[in-house]
Amino acid sequence: MVPNPDQPTGPEAKPFIGLAKTFTPEDEAALRESLKRCSPSTFEAAVQYRRTGNPEHVPAVVIGVIERFVEPDLRVKLKEADDDLRLIDDLGVDSLTMMEIVVLVEDVLQMTINNDELRNLRTVGDVKLFIDCKIRGLPLPKPTKFLPVEQIVAVMPIQPPFLFLNEASVSSSGANGKYKITGQEFFLQGHFKDNPVMPASIMLEALGQLGVLFLLEGVSTEPGKVVSSSTIFFTGCEGVRAHRICRPGDILSISIKPKRTKMPLATFEGAIRVGQEKAAIVEEFTLTFGLEDAATAAPAAQLSDVPRPTSITGLGQIANGTGPNA
Amino acid sequence: MPKVYITGLGFITSIGNDRASVTTSLRELRHGFERYAPFAGPEVPVKVAAPVRGFQMDSTDPEDWTFPKGYTIRREVLRGMSPNAVYSWCAMQQAIADARLTPAEISNPQTGLYAASGGSPFLMGHMLQRMHQQGVMKCSPLGIIASISGTLNFNLVAHFGIKGSSCGFSSACASSSHALGFAYDDLALGRQKRMFIVGAEDGNPDAILPFASMRALSLQTDPNLASRPFDTGRDGFVGTGGAVVLVLETEDEVARRGVTPYCEVAGWGQASDGHNVAISHPDGHGLAAAIKLALAATNTPAEAVDYVNAHATSTPIGDTSEARALKSIFRTPATRPAISSTKAITGHGLSLAGAMESGFCALAIRDGFMPGSANITRLDPECEGLNIIRSTLPAQPRVVLNNVSGFGGANVSLVFRQA
Repeated sequence: MVPNPDQPTGPEAKPFIGLAKTFTPEDEAALRESLKRCSPSTFEAAVQYRRTGNPEHVPAVVIGVIERFVEPDLRVKLKEADDDLRLIDDLGVDSLTMMEIVVLVEDVLQMTINNDELRNLRTVGDVKLFIDCKIRGLPLPKPTKFLPVEQIVAVMPIQPPFLFLNEASVSSSGANGKYKITGQEFFLQGHFKDNPVMPASIMLEALGQLGVLFLLEGVSTEPGKVVSSSTIFFTGCEGVRAHRICRPGDILSISIKPKRTKMPLATFEGAIRVGQEKAAIVEEFTLTFGLEDAATAAPAAQLSDVPRPTSITGLGQIANGTGPNA
Repeated sequence: MPKVYITGLGFITSIGNDRASVTTSLRELRHGFERYAPFAGPEVPVKVAAPVRGFQMDSTDPEDWTFPKGYTIRREVLRGMSPNAVYSWCAMQQAIADARLTPAEISNPQTGLYAASGGSPFLMGHMLQRMHQQGVMKCSPLGIIASISGTLNFNLVAHFGIKGSSCGFSSACASSSHALGFAYDDLALGRQKRMFIVGAEDGNPDAILPFASMRALSLQTDPNLASRPFDTGRDGFVGTGGAVVLVLETEDEVARRGVTPYCEVAGWGQASDGHNVAISHPDGHGLAAAIKLALAATNTPAEAVDYVNAHATSTPIGDTSEARALKSIFRTPATRPAISSTKAITGHGLSLAGAMESGFCALAIRDGFMPGSANITRLDPECEGLNIIRSTLPAQPRVVLNNVSGFGGANVSLVFRQA
């Protein structure tokens, strides 16, 4: 018989830590009322969590609560279980809706979330990871970092006219970037004659460049060491498929996720979309990299403290009292 | 100074949720009263109210609310709304359609919005209860937006993209007449080209019943007898809610857009009793002064007034006070105007009253009738000599006066003229 992890039975069973209070029928009734506009599975997951403290149920609760506040026509996106879904751009969640989500999550999971902790939550994945860390008592994840083109240029060994990233965001779980095909790229003069098409090899290059940025920004290494920008090179790729012809005017949405990282190799999966259309996927590609002493590294790291130009959620403004007019 | 006209109206009231049904109710004196279900319990001495029909908003959760067909409000809009904001949102839609305004004509620096409601005691009570019981951080993030008395202007200005003047007015039952008066000033002074005036109230138990302990509400159990301004048997007002929206525009805008206005807003006057926080001056001094100022401001001789829509709410003291004020102004019996209180069929809308009854005056002038003062069986002797009309007259008034009086002795009188 497979033991149910949610039902600690014998004396040897280890209940999950985290929830000190017992879950009474009154609590269940209040929970049902709080979640009355959420799916039944959200309620079930919340009940399981409150009974057992098992954090495995938390993602379903969080997604269920977000879904309840998202306009019905956008809810289908949440079904895709894409952690890169952006709360504002993809789901239409504004800062006040975020507060509604927070109040309900706090109520249902019996936790407290501070305003300043919310500032860096930009994607569904950010929210899930953040709540998971809070519940398990783990240190909070490094916030997603946003890099405008100036900052990318400052960090990267690759430079224009061969840089194919206009902006990027890097978190511990991966990186996203954008590149707009301007039509002025030198290689489009010949690829093809009177018929400019972004070469698939350059799209693969763009994915690789995002991998380089991830290594330089996102990988934790040994203490006192950083990834050396002059040591990163492409070693190989597998399962490359192009699905869509990309032309001047198209905006490439480039994303990569690390699959394995073990000195000196880092392997990623990658995808490029244009809008909602798949443009290219790479099942995996691998970069090699080396380390150097942090003290001798290029001064690029100092740039990481450049403030983001605009508040992403506006929650920071509320926290500072400069948001809604009182 | 440019002339100012009423070019659009929207109604969500106890006597109808559109202009046509409101006009019919006014002409035929059909009332909006009923034995109000939330007052059924033995602990509530008040039994009659004039609720708005077609809306279901008795839950504290706006996502439970239902509206008549044709009105849909997105969740992100609804979450900051009180019931009276919902009523006003619907009345705005009507007024905009009625005035045939384009989105650009609604959202520009020359178009403003003045509003008046008492807020939402219902949602305020719920929010404070939740705060005390469950904690300060457990309130709805927009609870304050939905419940304080600026809820109308907060919601409407944001959702309709108003870019001109905006403000809420708070003088109790005189509020929306103050809003209309100051909107007139902004238009006459050239500060704005177009103004929305909004009056609204929840009209639910939490909005109405706090008036019971001051003995202001009628304890009548018969819906046909509860509201009877100027009758000797009157014993208090009957509460109502809803929303009325008026669109005011300058003569230049009326000419440019080629629309036919309902009537002209000729001007207004206001004066205060300086007497009591809740009770009108017994001789109606403040109201008489407001009427005098309104007539003077519009160069209107008292004899020129054809119809007065009285404030008379059906309270013993208030109606007497107004009757004395009217007698002090309209001294020549032969030229005394027709007078009625339409609260005999609508009930008293508090902050909504001035806007609602100004809307009625506009209908009366354009459609050519003067609504009667219903439910008078024995006229109060104090009213002897006043021409209080018991039934609707099919005659078109050219000059109309609308009175309101609010707590603190605030009085406003508005003058409307045939366009």
